[in-house]
Amino acid sequence: MIRAMLRRTLLSVLILFLVAVFVFLATEVLPGDALDVYLSEDDVSVMTVEDIEEMRRELGLNVPAPKRFFSWLSGAVFGDFGHTIVDKIPIGEIIFNPLLNSLQLGAVITLITLPVAFAIGATTGYWRGQRTDAVVSTTSIIGYSIPDFVIGTVLIIIFGVWIPLFPAVITISNDAHPVKLLAVSLLPAITVIIGHVAHLSRLLRAGFIETMNSDFVERARLSGVPERNIVFRHVLPASVIPTLNAMALYMAGVLSGLIVVEKVFGYPGLGIELIEAVDTREVHVVQAIAFLGAVLVVIMNLLADFAIIALDPRVRSHVSER
Amino acid sequence: MLVNDKSLRSVLTHSPGTAIGVALVMLHLLNALFAPLLIPYGETQLVGAPMIAPGHADFIFGTDVIGRDFLSRLMMGGRTSITVAMIGVFGAVLIGTFFAVSAAYMGGLYDDVVMRIVDTKLSIPGILFVALFVVGFGRSVTVLTIVVGLSYFPGAVRTIRAQAMTQVPLAYVKAARLRGESALSVIFRELTPNVIEVVVVEFAIRTSSAILIVSALSFLGLGITPPTADWGLMVSEGVNQIYEAPWLVLLPAVFISTLVVGLNFASDGLANALGLDAARGLGGGN
Repeated sequence: MIRAMLRRTLLSVLILFLVAVFVFLATEVLPGDALDVYLSEDDVSVMTVEDIEEMRRELGLNVPAPKRFFSWLSGAVFGDFGHTIVDKIPIGEIIFNPLLNSLQLGAVITLITLPVAFAIGATTGYWRGQRTDAVVSTTSIIGYSIPDFVIGTVLIIIFGVWIPLFPAVITISNDAHPVKLLAVSLLPAITVIIGHVAHLSRLLRAGFIETMNSDFVERARLSGVPERNIVFRHVLPASVIPTLNAMALYMAGVLSGLIVVEKVFGYPGLGIELIEAVDTREVHVVQAIAFLGAVLVVIMNLLADFAIIALDPRVRSHVSER
Repeated sequence: MLVNDKSLRSVLTHSPGTAIGVALVMLHLLNALFAPLLIPYGETQLVGAPMIAPGHADFIFGTDVIGRDFLSRLMMGGRTSITVAMIGVFGAVLIGTFFAVSAAYMGGLYDDVVMRIVDTKLSIPGILFVALFVVGFGRSVTVLTIVVGLSYFPGAVRTIRAQAMTQVPLAYVKAARLRGESALSVIFRELTPNVIEVVVVEFAIRTSSAILIVSALSFLGLGITPPTADWGLMVSEGVNQIYEAPWLVLLPAVFISTLVVGLNFASDGLANALGLDAARGLGGGN
C-alpha cells in the first residue's frame, strides 16, 4: 500500500515538472520570450533595436531559455513567480488575495455541491429507469448544457434588474474581509452550483448503479437483508469509491470553473486577475496562475488515489500497476 | 455498420429528449449553413439607430448597441464557434485515435510516454490552458482552433485507449499478428474499426463541450474577436446594456443554450443507443 502511494506521489511530481516545462514552452520559448509576448507591433515600431536589447537585459532575458526555465521553476516551487514586466511588482503579492478569494468561493460551492449531487445521484440511481430518474436526468442535461455566463447574466437580469435584490455588479476590493465576500457570493455560487450539481450527480448516479449491480448486493438481497439496510449499509458506502475519482476531478476543476463566473459578477478572484493579465500581456502572471491551477489538479487527483488505495482492497495492487 | 436502421430508430425514440435534441441540432446546423443567404442585412453593417427594441418593422429582433441588425447577427453568431469546435475536435479525435490505438497495441515505453503527456495536459484546467496560448500567440481563429484541438486531444486519447485495451487481448488481434500483418496494419485495419463507436460518441460529446468552451472564451475576450458575430461575444457586449436592452443578452443566450442542450440530448441518446455511458466522458478533457 505504501509502495503504491509512493509510486503515485513520484508520478505526480513528474507530471508537475512536465506541466512546468509545458507552461514555460508555450509562453516564453515558442513565441520568442516574455518581451516578444509583451511588446505589441506598435511598441516595436517606435523602439530602436538597442532599446529592446536594453529592456531584454533588464528583464534578464538574455540568458538562454533552459537556464531561465530552471531559475523560474526553482522560484516557483517556493511561491516566487518573478515580477510583473511593467511595475516590477512581485507576482506572489498580486495573486495572493485573489487566490484566497477564489478558494473561499470554491469552498462554498463545493460544500453545497457535493452533498446535493450525492443525494440526487443516489436517488436517481436507485430508481433508475423510472419517471423520477427520467425527469431528473433530463433536467440535469439541460443544467450542464447552459453556459455559466448565460446562467450568470440571466440571474443578474432577474435579481439585479427586474427584481433588484442584489447589485448587478460586485464592487469590492480584493482584500475585503471574508465575511463581506461571503455576502456577495450568493449569485456567483448559485450560477456555478447549477451546472456542477447537474454534472456531478450524473457521474455519481453511474457509480451508484455500478454498485447496485455488484454481486455482493445481489447476495445480500437473496439472503433476506432488508432493502433499507442494503441501501444504507452496503450500497452507499461502497458507491463512494467509484465516485471518488469523479469528485476529485470535479474539485480540481472548481477553481478554473470560477473564471467565467468571476468575470460575470466582478468577483475579485484569480479569474479576474487572469483575464487582466492576458489583456495586458503580463506573461509571468498567466504562467503563475496556470501553474497553480495544475498544482491543485494534481494534488486533488493524488488525494483521490490515496483514498481509493486506502479504502478499497481490490484496487491496491491494481493501482500500483498503472 | 455503425448505426443500422433499427438502431437509428432506437436512437431517435430512445427518449423524447433525444428527438428534441436531434431536431434542435438540425435546425441550428441548417441555420448556420444557410444564414449567409437568408440574413436581411450584413451582420457587421451599421443599418439603423442603436438599440431599437425587437418588434420593429424593419428589424424583427431590433438592433444592437451600435445599430447592427440583431437578427442577422444572431443567425450568423454560431458559425465561427461551431466551425472552430468541429474542426478542432475532429483533428483531436482523428490524431487521438491513432495515438490511443497504437499506445494500447504497442504498450511499453511508448504507451507510458503517450500517457504521461496526456496526464500533463489533463492537469492544466481548460481555460488556463487556452490563456497560456492566447497570451503567447495572440487571438485568432487559427490559434483558437489549434488550441481547441490540443485541449481535446488528451481526453480523446484516454477514452479511446481504454476501449482499445479491451480489444487488444482478443483472438482476432492475435490471429492478425500471426498472419504476419504489420503493426500499422493491425492498428488501422483490425483495431481502429472496432473502437469506431467510441470515437463517434467521443466526437459528439466533445464537440458540444468545445462549443461551450469557445463561447465562454469569446465571452471572456479570449476567443473570437469583434466585429465577428458570435453569441458568447454578443452576451458580453450586451452586459453593459442590461437595464435598457436586456434582449441583447437574452436572445444570444437562448441561441447558444438551445444549440448545446440539443447537442447534449442528441449525443446522450447516441451513447445510450450504442450502449456507452455519455456521462463518463464528460468530466475529463476540459
